[in-house]
Amino acid sequence: MLAGVLLLIFLPPLVAKDLCKDSQDGFKVRLSIKTGLGDDAYEWNESEMFLFRSTLAYAMRKHSNQDTYTIDNILVCNDTQRVSFVFVVTSTDDPDQLIPKEQVELAVRQNKHRINNAFLLSDMTLEFMGIPPTLSAPIIYDTEPWLIVFGVVIGAVAVGIVALLMSTVSKKRRAKEKAAGLSEEDEGIVKENGTALSSLGRKEGVYNQAFSNDDRFTKL
Amino acid sequence: LIMSKEARPSWDSPMQFVLACVSYAVGLGNVWRFPYLCQMHGGGGFLIPYLLMLFLEGIPLFCMELAIGQKMRLGSIGAWTAISPYLGGLGIASVVTSMYLCLYYNVINAWSFWYLFHSFQSVLPWAECPVNANRTGYLEECEVASPTQYFFYRETLNISSSIDENGGLHMGQALCLLLAWIIVYLFIVRGVKSTGMVVYFTATFPYVVLFIYLIRGVTLHGAWNGVKYMFTPKLEQLANPQTWINAATQIFFSLGLGFGSLIAFSSYNHHNNDFEKQAVVISLINSGTSVFASVVTFSIYGFKATFNYESCLERMRLLCLNAFDLSEESISAENVTAWISHLNITHPERFAAIASKIEHCSLEAELDTAVEGTGLAFIVYSEAIKNMPLSQLWSVLYFIMLLLLGMGSMLGNVTAIITPLADIKLLTRFLSSESINGLVCLLCLLLGFGFTSRSGSYWFTIFNEYAATLSLLFIVFIEVISVCYIYGLRRFERDIEDMLGHRPNWYWKVMWAVVSPLLLFSLFIFYIINYIQGGTPTYQAWDKDLVRSVKTFANNKLNQNEKNIKMKKLVKSSIIRILTM
Repeated sequence: MLAGVLLLIFLPPLVAKDLCKDSQDGFKVRLSIKTGLGDDAYEWNESEMFLFRSTLAYAMRKHSNQDTYTIDNILVCNDTQRVSFVFVVTSTDDPDQLIPKEQVELAVRQNKHRINNAFLLSDMTLEFMGIPPTLSAPIIYDTEPWLIVFGVVIGAVAVGIVALLMSTVSKKRRAKEKAAGLSEEDEGIVKENGTALSSLGRKEGVYNQAFSNDDRFTKL
Repeated sequence: LIMSKEARPSWDSPMQFVLACVSYAVGLGNVWRFPYLCQMHGGGGFLIPYLLMLFLEGIPLFCMELAIGQKMRLGSIGAWTAISPYLGGLGIASVVTSMYLCLYYNVINAWSFWYLFHSFQSVLPWAECPVNANRTGYLEECEVASPTQYFFYRETLNISSSIDENGGLHMGQALCLLLAWIIVYLFIVRGVKSTGMVVYFTATFPYVVLFIYLIRGVTLHGAWNGVKYMFTPKLEQLANPQTWINAATQIFFSLGLGFGSLIAFSSYNHHNNDFEKQAVVISLINSGTSVFASVVTFSIYGFKATFNYESCLERMRLLCLNAFDLSEESISAENVTAWISHLNITHPERFAAIASKIEHCSLEAELDTAVEGTGLAFIVYSEAIKNMPLSQLWSVLYFIMLLLLGMGSMLGNVTAIITPLADIKLLTRFLSSESINGLVCLLCLLLGFGFTSRSGSYWFTIFNEYAATLSLLFIVFIEVISVCYIYGLRRFERDIEDMLGHRPNWYWKVMWAVVSPLLLFSLFIFYIINYIQGGTPTYQAWDKDLVRSVKTFANNKLNQNEKNIKMKKLVKSSIIRILTM
């Protein structure tokens, strides 16, 4: 009688353990808390395991849209010091029936972000062996940022070149006008007076070395 | 009095000339070639042959080119024709070599622009791999290589697997090359007037950045490992003749002799400019910058090597923890190696399962990986930068420095072409100097587009290794022989006395007449012997399937032969495997 009662009490967890250990539908989970959090790392204990089982139950609820999943549907075994273990999910209708692997995988992938956040970990530090992480989508730009910077720089340079060339052109034009203007005035004056002396007033004069004041070479 | 209509333009001050020469001589080679040579040839000990060669050939040849330009007041073609009408070809050779250099050198500036523009993002594009199609992981090519290598070979170059496969033009590269040439044009459009303004910036700002990087570099974690590694002299390397040859060639190419740029720059000097003192100053600045840059490079090497070493230890630690399900505190980074041997002894079967993934982590091995050239500048440095805090800032600073170094050298290269052209009376009668300069830049741009194709990097390698190496040695050798023996050393001495007021002392005369020609001749012979003995030239090609650089023969037939041999081996081994199953 006592044996029968004892068997009744200990059978479910034993059966549960067997379901977990032998099944093909289980996933191995590995947490690297010290690596992920360093000094802020928390201790892995029964309460944390409770949280894990409840987040998984939450994930199954969201995926299947059934509010019947409870923490008893999540069975855990093969606990190690590493903080790694295997879990399986039992069906809500029949506790001996396991949810197939693909369903669990989909549920986990869908809610990985929430599960990570519950433990303050990331895809690197909370690993589900066999479930690849969903990486964030690459940012698509309308115009690539490098093109914008390129446009600014090449615009500035183009403006610089055009300004330089314009200044060269206008300088040449001014020089040409000056030369043309001077030669016109010369001819006019000569025609009027017949002397070329007054034209000297416009120009700076001609440097005649013979009358130089420079006595560099002849020292008397 | 003859009032010449167009007096030869000149520098606003001797300082501009010195800065222009510094800007030209201090280029990318100081940053990416000298540290490599230092590492290869015994660290601090390499300074001995390097400084010796500086005094034996560097400074004398530099001074000689400045003297020629200042005396003749013409570009390279005109100057050599003035020395002897039969030597005009020497000037033409210089111009052609400068042309080759202009074509491929500006491509490096295009790459620097590409990297610079891509630094303006929240996450540097070479810091992370792009995600694959179904977002389960990263692209395979990037995963196997590294994000920095992937970014350089695939996104920057979109490199093909051999030089024969041309692919199309990379539009981004073509745009950057266009920008680079437009900026060069902007700098040289007014000749020495515009160049003189620009060199104040291009010569000095790189030193500011190098100094900032020095501070940043030596404060990085693990930087001291690299600097210690560099400065520990391995004097046995001095017995290796290759060390001396590399020191001689490095001095030679680093100073930019033989291109005609120095002659062009000094042709705009006043007749009495003291080029002798300036030559010594500029050469010493150039060598000093090389040493300074290598301290920065080695501190960054040390940081990168330490980072990789510590990542390796971390990977091994995780591997052991995961395979044996031990708690996280049991293995730390320090005792990983001890644990590995312990686990091998205690659990040999389980250890055998992970034995293939065990790597031997060694800081020495990481430091020993010497890299030079574009690989150093664009892969190694950018890998180090992505691990620094505030990486966008450091990236922008670094690539601006590379750009200034490259642009400064380009100024000299292009001036070496446009100065002789401006001396040709026939051309200047029909075209203004701005148009001539514009046409030169346009021609170089159009030809340079070839380097932006998918196989462009391989063409770059060819030009880098062959365009301006052997020919320069020959050119400078003929130069020094012509000046000493055809023009006459005495006549040259008198010209210098006329310009400076005193004759050159015995050091200059001995170097010009005896030592430098001998050195140059032996280098020239060495190069030819090396070339003949080299057989079919090979180059490093990026293999997309193996995801690393492989040695490829330049001759396609040999490639095909190798492939056939590999195929035969594969077939044989699979037949044997099937038969023995």
